[in-house]
Parts: sequence; structure tokens; C-alpha cells
Amino acid sequence: MASERQITANRRNARNSTGPHSGAGKKRASRNAYRHGLTLSVTSTAAYAKQLDKLVREIADDSKDAIVLERARAIAQAELDLARVRRAKVSLIERASAFGELDPPQAFSTVTQIKRFLNALDRGKLILPKPSDSSATMPSQEPYRSAEAIRRVLPELRRLDRYERRAAVRRHRAVLDFFGGMKPDYNL
Amino acid sequence: MHRLLPKLPLLITESADEFDALRDAFEQEIKPRGIIEQMYVHDISAIVWEILRLRRCKVVIINLALRSALQDLLKQVLRQPGQWEHHVEGEAQTLARSWFTDQEAKKQVSEMLSRFDLDESAIEAEAIRRSSSDLELLDRMLTSLESRRNKALGCVAEYRASLAQQLRDSADRIIDGKDVLRLEHASGKRPTAA
Repeated sequence: MASERQITANRRNARNSTGPHSGAGKKRASRNAYRHGLTLSVTSTAAYAKQLDKLVREIADDSKDAIVLERARAIAQAELDLARVRRAKVSLIERASAFGELDPPQAFSTVTQIKRFLNALDRGKLILPKPSDSSATMPSQEPYRSAEAIRRVLPELRRLDRYERRAAVRRHRAVLDFFGGMKPDYNL
Repeated sequence: MHRLLPKLPLLITESADEFDALRDAFEQEIKPRGIIEQMYVHDISAIVWEILRLRRCKVVIINLALRSALQDLLKQVLRQPGQWEHHVEGEAQTLARSWFTDQEAKKQVSEMLSRFDLDESAIEAEAIRRSSSDLELLDRMLTSLESRRNKALGCVAEYRASLAQQLRDSADRIIDGKDVLRLEHASGKRPTAA
């Protein structure tokens, strides 16, 4: 257990951990979420850019006003982000339904398997366990198969849910900005 | 639905017609005007669709755990004093398998359970216990989705209020003549050469 002195030092250090301060640091931190690919700008592919432009024009009602267009763009971008997360959710479930899991099978899935492997190695034998086939443990009938697939990717779905929630908040904020701004309820 | 809005992706086992019917029902209720309101209605339909999907999944997860739950329960019931579980494992497995299809096996299990003042609800309880971590995650997701659905419904109202406020402000400006004055002022300006 940490001592009083350590707790005080931890608190003092934590007060200093307020994120990046320099411009470069902030820029680098702003790209953290790009690792997941979900917050990538939707203008990153040509097809998306085209879809985005059409949506922007529709929302802006063909206005040429730069501010109106920029605000419409924020709405459209968040809308396409939402669509992207929803596609990712369905795609993960379909993948788990097809393969039984998202990651390729590991050579060792239990401690016992590792022990057996090492014991055999001590005896001078190289015996690798057979990789498990997760799809074989999937129910063959619907709706059991889809439900089992959802069960297997629940932690991932929950993470994606957070992105979806954030995109929805961003879109609502953009909509209210577009119409001259009442104070929005950001706690979606 | 507006042609420019992205379609909601469905699982291959889900029916597009059923989703359309759900969205149509919301459109009938909310009567969206313009693309922004259509976005919100699409959002609400997508959230409700996911809620229904997860609720179905919750029931199926419990059903999927029923067999192993029954097997565990039977091992407890069948075990005599001084016996280990593996002594009765085979019998419990066979009985648990037949319970789903054979009425006679079902009756036999009921009788066994009643000897300990238990009934079929004990099987369901064990299935829920075994799936509790998955059910807890599902419940959290459902709570989050239900809260988002309610907020999304609120968003439509907030958006309409925002739009109405903007229209009121525009009307006030026209009535006060501010826009007209500005136009007159602007037209009165002489262009100056650079």
C-alpha cells in the first residue's frame, strides 16, 4: 500500500499531468484516435469526399456562403462518421459469425498447453498444439449463430458505441451551430 | 428516407423490409421536414433497431446457456454422498441432451428437481448466472442506447425550437426594418476606386 508521502507525491505529479502544452505535442495527441481509423477524416477517400460534398450542398440548400457551407460540412462529416461506425459494428459481428473470433487462433490458449509444450521440449520433443478452430464452436442455426457472434465481440461493440455517441454529439452541436445556436445538450 | 443519407447496414440475417417498416413508423410519428430532421429520424430508427437486436441477443444467450446449466444442475442432483461430479457426468450429459426433445426426459428431470424443492426456473437461473458477465455488458449497452434514443428524440425538439427561434429573429429584424435600413445604407454607398 502507498504511504502518505507517496500519495501526496502522486497527487502533486498528477496535477502536472494536464496533457500536452506545446503546439507540436497537442498536434501529436490530436492524432491518437487515428490509430483506430474511426475518427479519420471522411474526406480521406474520393468516394467519401463526393458523398460528403453532395450532403453538404443539400444541407446548405445550395448556399454559396462560406460560413454556411463550413457549418453544413461539420454536420455532414459527423453524419458520415456515424454511418462509418455503424458499418464497423455490423462488419465485426459478421466476421465473428463467419470465423468464430476476430483474431487468428493463438498457438497456446491455456497455461496447461504452455506447460505441456515446455515439458515435451525438456524431453527433446517439439510438439506444437493444434490451433483451435473457433468457428467449430459456433452454433449452426439462426438466431443462435448471430447472438453468439454478438456475444463474442461485445467488448469491441461497446468501444465502438463510445465513438458513435461522440459522433452523435458532434453532429447535434453542428446542427445547432448551423441554426445560430441555442445552448445544446451535449450529454448525449 | 432522404436519398443522400447513408443506408443503415444490417446483418445478413436481418430483414431490410422490417427496418424500413420501423423507420416509416417513426417518420409517420415525427413527420420530419428537411434533411436535418430526416437525419435525426434515421438516427432514432438505427438506435431502436440496435436495441431490438441486443434484446433478441440477450434472450438467445440465456437459451444457449440452458444446456450446460441443466447439465451442471443435474450433476448436483444426481450425485450421491461420497461421489464426485465426474461419476455422474455421463448420465447428466445424456439427460440434459434429451431434455430439449424428449418429453419423458423432461418429466424425469422435473421429478428429480422437485425432490429438492426445485423446478425449471432453477435451470434458467443457472443459465443466467453462467452468462452474467455477458448479460451485464449487454445491459450496459442497452442502457446507453436507450439513453441515446431519448436524447435523439429530444434533439428533434431542440432543433425545431432552434429553427423556430431563428425564424422569429428573422421576422423581428424585418419588422424592425433593420435589414431594410442596412440595404438602403449599402446602396447609398458610392463605390470608391482603388
